[in-house]
Order: sequence, then structure tokens, then C-alpha cells
Amino acid sequence: MLRFTATRLVRAAITIVMVVTFAFVVLRLSGDPAQIIMGADAPPEAVDAFRTAWGLDEPLWVQYISYFGAIFSGDLGRSMRDGREAIVLVLERIPATLALTVPALVIKLALGIPAGILAALYRNSALDRAVMMFAVAGFTIPSFVLGLLLVLLFAVQLGWLPSGGQESWRHAILPVITLGIGGAAALARFTRSAMLEVLGQPYIRTASAKGVAWRRVVANHALPNAAIPTVTIIGFMFGSLIAGAVVVESVFSWPGVGRLLVTAVANRDLAVVQCILLLVAMTMITANLVVDLLYGVLDPRLRGGARKAEA
Amino acid sequence: MRRRDLALLPAIGLAAPALAQSDQRPTVTVAVQKISNSNTLETPREQSNVGFRISTLYAESLIGTNWTGDMGQVPELASAWRRVDDRTVEFDLRQGVKMHDGRTMSAEDVQFSLAGARLFGSGEGRTRGGITAGQDGLEPQPEVIATARRTFPGLERVEIVREGVVRFINRTPDVTIEGRVAQNVGVILSRAAFEAAGNWLAWARQPVGTGPYRVVEFRPDQSLTFEAHDDYWGGRPPARRVRILEVPEVSSRINALISGEVDFATDIPPDQVAAVERNARFEVLGSPINNIRLIVFDQNHAMLRNPLVRRAMTHAIDRRAIVEALWAGRTEIPRGMQLEFFGDMYLREWDNPRFDLAEARRLLREANYRGEPIPYRCLNNYYINQTATAQVMVEMWRAAGLNVQLQMMENWSQIQEPGPTRGVRDWSNTHVFSDPVGSLARAMGPGGPLQRNREWTNEEFNRLSVELEGSTDRARRRVVFQRMLAIIEREDPGYMVLHTAATFVAKRRDIQWKASRGWPLDFRAGNLAFPA
Repeated sequence: MLRFTATRLVRAAITIVMVVTFAFVVLRLSGDPAQIIMGADAPPEAVDAFRTAWGLDEPLWVQYISYFGAIFSGDLGRSMRDGREAIVLVLERIPATLALTVPALVIKLALGIPAGILAALYRNSALDRAVMMFAVAGFTIPSFVLGLLLVLLFAVQLGWLPSGGQESWRHAILPVITLGIGGAAALARFTRSAMLEVLGQPYIRTASAKGVAWRRVVANHALPNAAIPTVTIIGFMFGSLIAGAVVVESVFSWPGVGRLLVTAVANRDLAVVQCILLLVAMTMITANLVVDLLYGVLDPRLRGGARKAEA
Repeated sequence: MRRRDLALLPAIGLAAPALAQSDQRPTVTVAVQKISNSNTLETPREQSNVGFRISTLYAESLIGTNWTGDMGQVPELASAWRRVDDRTVEFDLRQGVKMHDGRTMSAEDVQFSLAGARLFGSGEGRTRGGITAGQDGLEPQPEVIATARRTFPGLERVEIVREGVVRFINRTPDVTIEGRVAQNVGVILSRAAFEAAGNWLAWARQPVGTGPYRVVEFRPDQSLTFEAHDDYWGGRPPARRVRILEVPEVSSRINALISGEVDFATDIPPDQVAAVERNARFEVLGSPINNIRLIVFDQNHAMLRNPLVRRAMTHAIDRRAIVEALWAGRTEIPRGMQLEFFGDMYLREWDNPRFDLAEARRLLREANYRGEPIPYRCLNNYYINQTATAQVMVEMWRAAGLNVQLQMMENWSQIQEPGPTRGVRDWSNTHVFSDPVGSLARAMGPGGPLQRNREWTNEEFNRLSVELEGSTDRARRRVVFQRMLAIIEREDPGYMVLHTAATFVAKRRDIQWKASRGWPLDFRAGNLAFPA
């Protein structure tokens, strides 16, 4: 188990270095932050002063080494836009993003899994078709379209809810629903197909033939086995808690990490982008690690495999 | 009822009318695309359209601009000013102006704001680079100092003649000192508040000025809240609070307006005006502003090296068609790089190269141009209607026989990247004060972005630009200005004027308000009134 975990941690570290390097190269080669941040109308002297002050006039490799040196010494740098520490800027935004993504995740789980299970259990019925119709619609409508439709209906036409901003819990309702519906639809489709695959297995037929009540067959044999692929997608959803609401945050003017990322990328605000990428990569890697460990819990054969690998 | 309670009755009786008289003024909420690019409110750091929009709410200069009128200079924190000589302007400071920290504005505040540590630093330099900006005490960021030097290039000192009278003294003769002082870089802020701020970033997030509203909370990328400055010298502000909300998406801004969450929504594209006004409760106001949209030519490009090709391009564009089709006629075509508020420097007889396809084709034949590609770098709607305008122009150029190829870019750095693929690009030029020095010389002159970016240069133009900045002979300056226009717009085109930029603000129809002829939002008494 130790070796299993260590291997994954080494892989995770390599992934993070690659992500950070890729982002550094792409961001620095695709635009001069001084010109972008200072704007087209800034006096040339001001742009030059900015460039010198931030060391952007140094060769790229010097900037790269100095940036990595700072990261390894625990300094994630400062925002070139306003001079604040990048990590502080990012941490400030995380609660706002979690205020959307956590309730949305609850909606995804609460709607998506039962809908998928019911659709599978009543395959080819009217219920199945209705669930799948909504799932396909929810899955295929882009979140910005769904968001705008919800705003038009609930904010503009009915006037029940605010159209954007982050001033009260009411402001979170529409973005949470927008995020939740798309994810629930994806999860419903995934759960349904996982359940259908399991329900077709011989051991289900055997359990039924032995006279085990159908409810027990589903609860004790079908659901745990269908959970393995479903846990994978839930893991991805956990991984995207930090930066999974980029579009929705923009549509609803929600000041979370997603909007910060969009602004930082547009401004080539390297330290902030890198800080968010590091955070996202670490969240994703942690989620993957947890999913890997959960596989072992859900499937005793994998536990055995892990022990073997450790030996 | 106890005796103690009875004793309270007179006090309650007195308090009731007072409560009734509590501040009944409404809060104005404005949705904007962006509050501040730099996440600061210090004007020399936030030299942008979005910064110009809000700076007049909290800060003022000695000389103001009549934004809702003729754009002329008006007394603001100086009640009067006079020329002492070619290098010196003397200002009588308005008496009794209260700053947001409760202090009365003094000559020391003026000296500090125009020539002191706020713009030029302490002179001791920084111990580290800008990466520690905001954390190293009050030393301004290097780009702030650079902007200040660019705004006041000849500044020798600001001298306090006596309390209430200051002199702005230049090293060299300059007829534009008044215009330079009127820019928002030169707003007058509280010296005491600056010194108490602790660090530059804290100061830049909450500058203490004299404007009709004072900053109470700035949440970068989210909101900016002002409260009325009831001691404002220009009258009690009509709104109790002004809330600026950052709503990046235009559809979200319009939705917020229609659903009643905001009272104003800025940056409305012309094609949305009719959609907003279909609802009788709202209207869209706006007009041409002090900014001109133009196309810049890179004279180093293989095809554009020959001025005849650039001249042909200037004749191939039907500006009127663009204004009618894409702006519904709601903006204007200026007569070259000048606006009427130049006063006696305005050249009424000057005009853009006429739309003449035959002339364009003749010039191309003379240049022996055979359809070689000319790249046109373009951002996706950084300017209103930018992409549509670019597509229309490419077709207009094609009709004249020019093979202009549109290249969509992501940012200004990519647009300006030198090299053989840089040919034509979009730009705009704000006339920061009412003289060609504030636009033509500032942007196109030897130290301006066009030449610093090595896109265009002309020896005679540069000589004249220096003369325009230094000459005090107004008749001669007109001749120089006209010759400069002839060079850069006709003989050896460095740019081509398209039209005046315009900005549109959607608002509740029942609120009485007049849009300015520039970026600023004017919410002072006299320009904002609410229904009874």
C-alpha cells in the first residue's frame, strides 16, 4: 500500500511540474504581460518601467529559473496587476467558489444517482425515457446558455431571483442550479449505464434465481458493483470543486476562483494563474488518489492487488 | 409605566422627527464591464477607459472638464487661473473645499498631489523591484512615476505663493500646462491621508480626494461602493450611495437592469440599444466621446513601405457606411485627428482622405501593387463593433483591389509584436486635453506609442511635433498642426481615422441624467435626479 501511494505521489509531483512548466511557457510566449496589463493607451515609458520592475525584460530561461526557485522556497509570487501575494488572492476567492460548487455537487449526487438507478431499473419504460431525455438535454445544453435561460425566466420575467452578483444566499440559487443540472445529467447517464452493465451480469441472475428479493439483489449486489465507475466520475467532480465553475461564475458575475482565473489568464498574470493551476492540479490529484483508495474499499480484489504490489 | 420610562418619552418625541428626516436619498447602482484594470483607484496607475469612468466620482483636478457640455475647461478646485509667463500658470485655490477625511484642502495638498511623493516618489528609489509593490511603504510603483513624468514632462516645481495660491512652473515654455493639469493624473488628494495610509497599495485602493462621493469599500473585480460626500463644495450629492458592480457579460448587465437590480448599465453595444429600448421603462443614452478610432499602418511591412499603398487604403474606406450600418448613425466622423473642443486650434477646413475607389485603384496601379497579402491584426471586440468593422473594411479594401487578410489576436502584445507579419492594426486615441499635443503629439510624436513601437516615423513630422509642444505662438502652432496632419494622414500615412468612438449607457427612464461626452459618469447635483 505504501509503495502504491508513493508511486502515485511521485507521478503527481511530475504532473504538477509539467503543468506549471507548460503554463509558464504558454503564458509567457503568447503575450507580454506589461503591454497587456498596462493597456494599449499606457505611455511607453510606463510599460517599460513595469517590464523592468517585474523582470520581464530578462531572458525567458532566467525568468523560468527564478520563478521555479521562488516556488521551491515557498514563494508563489505576487499578482502583477496589483502587487498582492498570489496565494492570498486565490485563497480569498475559494470560499465563494465552494459556495457554488459544493451545493451543486450535492444536487448532482442527489438527483443524478437516483435518476440513473431508476432509469436502469425501469429500462425502456416511460420513466427511463423521461429521465434520459432530461439527462441528454441537461448534458448537452452549455452552462452559459442554461444560465442565461434561467436568468431570463427567474430574474427578468418573474423577478423572483437576482440575475448575478454575490450579495446574499439568493444570489447563489441560479448559479448552483445551473452547475447542478449539467452535472446531475452526466451522473445520471453514467450511473444508468453502469447499473445496466451490472444488472446483465451472471451473478445478478444467480442471486435472483436463488430467490433473493429483488430489492436485496439491487442493494447488495448491483449497487456496490455499479459504484466503481460512478465513483470515478464523482472523483472528477470533487477535483473540479475549485475551478469547475469558470463559465458560470462569468455569466453570474460571481467573484470566485474561476473568474479570477479568466482575468489572470487574459492579463498574463503569471503568478496568479500558476497558483490556481497548482491548486487545481493538487485537488484533482488528491481526488484521484482518494478514488484509487476507494476502489480498494469497494472491490476487495483491488485491495489484494495493492497488497501484491506492496509485496 | 415606570418613572424611568416616562422620563424617556420627551427624548423619543424629539427623536421621531429626526428619524423621519434621516437620509432618504436613494442608492444608485451601476453595472460596468470592469471597475479597474489595475485593481487600484490611483489615477496614474489606472490610466484606462474604465478608470476615467469612475475617477471623477471621487477625485478632482484644479481645472475641470465640462463633460456634459462643450468639453471645455471649467474651474474645479481652482476658482481661477492665469498665465504668469510661458512657463508658469498661477492658480487661485477654491476656498473651503472639504476633503473626504474632513480636512480643508490646502496649498500643501496641491503641491503634494502634482509634484510630490504621490506621483514622483521620495526619490530614494526602491530596495527591491516592483514585485513588492504595495508592501514597501509609500513609494509608488515605477509605472506611476513614469506616467507622471510623461504627463508633466517639463515640470520644474509647484510653488506655494501664499495660502490659497500656487504656481505650476515648467522648465520650458508650454502652452498646454492648463490641459495637462486638467488630466486625471493631476487630481488633488489628501497629503495627510497618503502619509497615514501605511503602504502604497492601501492608499491606491482608497484614495482620499474632494469629489462628490468618497470611497468606502473596494472589492477588486467585484464592487466599488461610494458614499455621498455631503460637504462637497459643488452641492450635496443627490445619491446617498453609489455602487459600481462588475458584470463582465453584456447580456448579464442588460438582464440586471431589466430585472431592477441596477439603475444603470454601461458599455452597451449599439446593436443592443433597440432591444433595451423596447421596454418603455428604459432608455439608452450616449454620444460620441473624446476618443477617435483609427487604423494604424506599419510602414516597415513589405507592401506598406510604399506610401502610395497606404494612401490607397485611406481612400478605399467608406466611413459613412460604417457609421450608418454598425452604429446606426449614433457617432460622428471627425475631420482628421482633431475634435472641435480644440478651440482656436481646430482646423475646420481639414478633412479625411475622401472615399474614392477610383483614386484608390489609381494609386495601387502607380505603386505596382499586385494583390500581395497585407496582414490586419485584430482583437475580438476590444473596441465596440471592432470585429464587424474589420470585416467590413476588408471587403471595402478588396473592392479597391487590396488583399487585406484579417488575423484575429488575443491580446495587445500579440497585436504589437514586431515582425514581417505586422501590417495593419486597430487603435484608438483619446484626446486627453483640448490641444493637438494631447492627442497627435502624445500618441504619434517621437516619444509616443506609434513610434516607440517602431510602426511609423517621419523626420519632418518629428521636428514639427517638438515645435508644437514648445511653441507659444498660436498662429504658428496652427500651421505646424496642419502640416503634421498633412504628413501623417495624407502624404505618408501613419494612421487612418475611422470615426469618433461612442459609449452608450442604458438606464431607468425615470431617472433624470445626462450622459457625458467622455468616459466619466457624472452623478453630481444638477446632473442626476430621481422621481419623487
